[in-house]
Amino acid sequence: MRLLNKPNRLMLTRICYASIFLIVMLFSSPAWAQEVAPQDNATQEVPGLDMSEATIAKGKELFVGRCQSCHAVTDEVVIGPGLKGVLERRELPWLLKWIRNSQALIQSGDPTAVQLYNEYNQTQMTSFLDLSDDDIKAILAYVKSAENQQQEAAADGAAQAEGGEAAQASGLNSSYLTAILVGLVIVLVLVLAVLLLIVSLLTRFLKNQDLPEEDLEVVNEKIDLTAPFRSKAFLTVVGVFFLLVVAKAGIDSLMDVGVQTGYAPTQPIAFSHKLHAGKYQIDCQYCHTGVRKGKSANIPSANICMNCHGEIKRGSPEIQKIYAAIEKNEPIKWVRVHNLQDFVYFNHAQHVQVGQIECQHCHGEIEKMEVVQQRSPLTMGWCIDCHRKTVVKAEGNDYYDRLLQFHKANAGKKPMTVEDIGGLECSKCHY
Amino acid sequence: MRFKQYTMAAVAGLCVLTACQRDYNDPGTEYAPNMYVSIPYEPLTQVEENKLTPTGANVLPPVPGTISRRNYPTKYVDEYGNEYDLGLMVYRTHPDSIEVAEKTLKNPLPATKQVIAEGKVLYERFCQPCHGAKGQGDGPVGQKYKGVANIAAMKFNDGHIFHVITHGKGRMWPHASQLNPLERWKIVHYVHVLSGDLPESGIVPGQEEKASETQEGTAAEQSSDVAMAN
Repeated sequence: MRLLNKPNRLMLTRICYASIFLIVMLFSSPAWAQEVAPQDNATQEVPGLDMSEATIAKGKELFVGRCQSCHAVTDEVVIGPGLKGVLERRELPWLLKWIRNSQALIQSGDPTAVQLYNEYNQTQMTSFLDLSDDDIKAILAYVKSAENQQQEAAADGAAQAEGGEAAQASGLNSSYLTAILVGLVIVLVLVLAVLLLIVSLLTRFLKNQDLPEEDLEVVNEKIDLTAPFRSKAFLTVVGVFFLLVVAKAGIDSLMDVGVQTGYAPTQPIAFSHKLHAGKYQIDCQYCHTGVRKGKSANIPSANICMNCHGEIKRGSPEIQKIYAAIEKNEPIKWVRVHNLQDFVYFNHAQHVQVGQIECQHCHGEIEKMEVVQQRSPLTMGWCIDCHRKTVVKAEGNDYYDRLLQFHKANAGKKPMTVEDIGGLECSKCHY
Repeated sequence: MRFKQYTMAAVAGLCVLTACQRDYNDPGTEYAPNMYVSIPYEPLTQVEENKLTPTGANVLPPVPGTISRRNYPTKYVDEYGNEYDLGLMVYRTHPDSIEVAEKTLKNPLPATKQVIAEGKVLYERFCQPCHGAKGQGDGPVGQKYKGVANIAAMKFNDGHIFHVITHGKGRMWPHASQLNPLERWKIVHYVHVLSGDLPESGIVPGQEEKASETQEGTAAEQSSDVAMAN
């Protein structure tokens, strides 16, 4: 008997080839990345400048302290011009005069100075009368050395571009796992196919044999897939499950009335808390100025946006909306996310300043939200639950001294919670 | 056949029920919304446009030149019990007259440990994003913003710092709407800590003169005369 006819044998060989290929893929080393040979870093000498390491270090310190806020060592314009190639553009004595007191040079009528002043919107450069010639030379030496480093970096970049293909190849490394998984799935499917093949072959083989009645029944048996679904037990389980789900959904939707957890309305301007509070770590109070002072945390007015966006990202269409609002003197209609009912009193200052509760305690991880979403239910049960659990931050707050005394006399060692100072009284929040 | 129909109905029903996910823009059902919304005008909540105000918003900007007097401090008591009269701290120097501010203004607050600690907290909330924890202009925003002054390296005097916080300078925009004068003066002390002119532990009021003589010399004394004359 030949269980494996010709097509089947062919298939087996193919499976073998496939597995060998997979194994080779698995164990072959992905280290194709090339090493980039370091470039010669001979510093270019400049007449009149001491290019020793000590001077450059001193210059760097001075540059970071005095110049960096307005000048970059590259050719990028920050406030003033980028300083790349400044020693080629200008004479050293002129630079010394200009850096020490640019205004004096402009007033003396120096044509270069006047042209520069007008070119940069007549912005005055700060005078540095306290810097000596040596200090300024040290700064220029640092600028020069930074320039040289940039050139080296550019050369390195070119060298790396050559090895770009190699870098891409090593990037494949991460997608290896997926390839292996896909390979495994294919192998498993093939195994299943082979097993089914064997079963059908055996059945066909047995049908041709002389078998007793009982055995024939087994061989000829048809599998009825719908039978289990029609059984009473199954239908009862489904019925009960259905009723339970209906009941749960009904109760949920009733409990959901007036509770807006998950509400994340689209705002008129796509402001991202993730970017501002998360990436740039701007404190909540910078914009929500009222949070430690009053009942409301405040929605910042457009002038606070302008503190940064008067200068940066001015072209963004979202920020253009703020400019438009300011020009037309129209309020920006932000959609309120946390709608506490009017019959409940809530005060931010009480909770944030006195209670020292983090904003995130109620508002969730605001610094990770692209669009602000209401995370807490703001139900009375939620408020009361927290008032029962939270211990009053009484240390260092004279207001609580006598309350603490009374509390200790009455309750002993049990910590003083918000409940103990009347945090559950109706009229504290409803009046 | 009936069984089959029931099963199908049940499965369809389950799908419908579990698929119920509220849209993010939908606040859901409200019970008795007429009790939810305030009848008097609320500055930061409103459902309908206000027909009485020019912009349609309930909230109005304060009248120019007015000072909020509610909880407005005119005295400061330091941790040693000394009282300092601050007056109304009205600051009318023109934005362009930073030299005047440099010459005439002196911090009315003592540089005690507590004032510096409060100044530090305010600095961290309002200045640090740009100027960085040590004042070197390397905060997370400052690196992106560019052109942020290194306030630790530049020895600014009281009046200069106060004026810049109030009116801004260069690329920095005014912060007067976010910080009241008292808070600004606290920050001024902390900026001096960052530039190394004051110790972070502060100065005990009796010993103040000695410290200012050694560190700021005659200029500080002159400006203190002017401040007292005001």
